Amino acid sequence: MLTELSAYTNRWRRVTPTAKGLFSLCGMIAAFAAGSSRTALLIALMLTAAAIMGAGVPPMRYLRVAAPALLFLVTSALSLLVSLDFGHNYATGVSLHLAGPEMTRIAHVCCRSLACLTALLFLALTTPLPDIISLLRLCKLPDTLLDLMTLCYRTLFVLSEVVHETLTAQSARLGYASVAISLRSLGVLIANLSVQVWQRSQALHLAAVARNNDGALLFLPPDFPHATRSISRAAISGILLIALAVTLP
Amino acid sequence: MTAAILSLTNVSYRYPDGTSALDNCSLTVARGSRTAVLGTNGAGKTTLFLHLNGILRPSSGQVRWEGTPLDYGRSELRKLRSRVGLVFQNPDSQLFSASVREDVSFGPMNLGLSEKIVRERVEEALHAVGMTDSADKPVHNLSYGQKKRVCIAGVLAMQPEVVVLDEPMAGLDITMQEELTTVLERLHAAGMTIIVATHDLDFAYGWADEAIILQSGRLLAHGVPAKILLQQDVRNELGAAPLVAEISSQLSLIGIDLRDKGYLPRSKSELLTALGAHIRQETKP
Repeated sequence: MLTELSAYTNRWRRVTPTAKGLFSLCGMIAAFAAGSSRTALLIALMLTAAAIMGAGVPPMRYLRVAAPALLFLVTSALSLLVSLDFGHNYATGVSLHLAGPEMTRIAHVCCRSLACLTALLFLALTTPLPDIISLLRLCKLPDTLLDLMTLCYRTLFVLSEVVHETLTAQSARLGYASVAISLRSLGVLIANLSVQVWQRSQALHLAAVARNNDGALLFLPPDFPHATRSISRAAISGILLIALAVTLP
Repeated sequence: MTAAILSLTNVSYRYPDGTSALDNCSLTVARGSRTAVLGTNGAGKTTLFLHLNGILRPSSGQVRWEGTPLDYGRSELRKLRSRVGLVFQNPDSQLFSASVREDVSFGPMNLGLSEKIVRERVEEALHAVGMTDSADKPVHNLSYGQKKRVCIAGVLAMQPEVVVLDEPMAGLDITMQEELTTVLERLHAAGMTIIVATHDLDFAYGWADEAIILQSGRLLAHGVPAKILLQQDVRNELGAAPLVAEISSQLSLIGIDLRDKGYLPRSKSELLTALGAHIRQETKP
């Protein structure tokens, strides 16, 4: 929900998603083009600054959204950094090895990943999903995939409300008083949710038919003011980012 | 009398599980009228509505549009569904997109209209339901009443001749109910035919020109609300009569006649005005 909150309340909410998508893509290209860890870190910093200082995403919110992904990154870095050696026989046992000579490459990969992450975070924290879907539609992604994204995104909120209400109703009747009861309640909740998903899909189908739908879900593409200007600015900034990544050692 | 825009002749419908939802139902809806459909839960109101939009096809009998039996071919159904807009009871079952504007555009886009026209229609529809200011908000951040209004806008953007609303007042607070009534009044004033399913007897009594009472899929009564809602069999079926009508009739028993030129008050505000006038007349020196 934090991503959602940022996407709808940031300063660049009304900037065309094409511009933000383009800048994010350039960020990712720059991340891959970065020749050293230092350059990749600089790209990551610049992308973070664009989100925080440009779009006005609060720094703490940015960190909280980035935290799970950073945790994955740290775990991956550690698994690259440390290797287990089981030895050739039982006598030598298991030993830990630090990847000494590979350190620079590992740091480079991690910093690149971090830059890629910040590029994606920039898009996710500044652009609501319906806008991203309309951007993907422009990119000619298959309709079925986009329809699924649209429905899943909408249904996510509807079902989370149902889950919340059911949990409250169960808790009010001591549904989570002990481990055994909690397991049973959880099972009932999942069963109830499955039925609801089926019923709601039927209802959505009826609603679509009632509004003359017989194929892909068609929506009006959102209209953004000064789209050309925003795209030009994003392209220039993106190209500068790539140029920086390429030219710096 | 105004010509019938929609009519049902001996329509029966049985669901695949064998449940009989409509049983030999015959009724007409006049063009430009305000019709309230009343009945207990399971009386067949929603099934009736699904027939009006061509989603369900009668097991027997006929549904007619301006006297012509419905053709259930693909292109004719498209025409019918652009003429008869259906607003479902639960907004979360109707709203597809998380964006208000996108969702309202869904119907007109399905009609194959140009982007420019769709954009104009979306803005008009949002304005008609007073949701222009919330058009950029995500649907999941709207209140229940606002979601209902977005649903109505989604149907209005298709510019239908008939709007059918399934229990639009359910779950709304008093203020939202009043706002929705204003929206319905505005649509009626613009010449739209409106059909509403409701459990609110007072709303039906005060708002509708015609009332249709369903009982276990059968038509129990059809006519002017001021008459049929006071019939004993209708009272028994619905469990009550409109409060305003009850008060007026009780007052008439003690000699207080609230009729103004033969017209009895139909809403709370009309009742209060009539009572005020009566009291002023009685206390005149």
